[in-house]
Amino acid sequence: MDFYRTLNATISYIAERYGEDFLKKTFRMMAHDVYRSIREDLRKGDPKQLIEHWAYYFDRENGEYEICRQGDEINFKVNKCPAIRYLQEQHINISPHFCSQTVEVNKALAEDTPFEIITKITGRGSCRQVIRKRP
Amino acid sequence: MIPSDHFVRYYNEVFKAVDSLGRDHLYAYWRKLGESQIQKIGEKFRKGGLEACYEYWKVIKEEENCDAQLSLTDDYFELDMKRCPSLSKVLDNDASPFPLYCDHCMGWIRPVMEYAGLHLVFDINSRIEPRCRIRIYKDRFKAELFQAE
Repeated sequence: MDFYRTLNATISYIAERYGEDFLKKTFRMMAHDVYRSIREDLRKGDPKQLIEHWAYYFDRENGEYEICRQGDEINFKVNKCPAIRYLQEQHINISPHFCSQTVEVNKALAEDTPFEIITKITGRGSCRQVIRKRP
Repeated sequence: MIPSDHFVRYYNEVFKAVDSLGRDHLYAYWRKLGESQIQKIGEKFRKGGLEACYEYWKVIKEEENCDAQLSLTDDYFELDMKRCPSLSKVLDNDASPFPLYCDHCMGWIRPVMEYAGLHLVFDINSRIEPRCRIRIYKDRFKAELFQAE
């Protein structure tokens, strides 16, 4: 199974056939059920597991990123997303909804926790994810 | 980014969401995924037949660390999966497994094989244990005979 190809095909299919809200629902299920343990830590006020999760998978998949703290904010700056890079190398048409997996999973992870996670897509294969305490 | 390692867990959630709309929706989705794989491997299987299937799953076996036995005969290619990494990841998960998770394999492989002119037989031993057997035949009649066993 070619995972990123299938993920891209899945996102494209779900968005076109069932709409963006339904696609967001699947990401919310992922954040709430699959990443339950990360979310439980966030609810307790501890973002460590999420930061480790980001770093572990981006290292494993040879992503280029920086993680830095600025006061109460933790910034995860993605310079080269391994999923986008793979799809580009394979000349696969990337769904315009592809990055919403990151935006929506982050948003759903932060629901009912003391944090907000803001995701800003800064380019094709780059983004900035910021965790901070809600005002 | 959902890491590639977690894709099957996302997949498991998508199956639940799509199935909630009706089983036909799920089958249509799997078929669509199969069509997206045709671009990559359908032509390879059509030209290379059973040997190409063997080569493809040999790579998958290594890449995905499958505990599986591959066999190639004049009549068929067989994948005897002893421990499926995909279902294993879904079972090792805070979310519950979708009850028909195993069926997605048949769902996406079948359109690829139809395109390639090959005939798939899928023997799901158990949907809660990560093992199964897939045979791909050149001859439809022989596939049907095996299916009837």
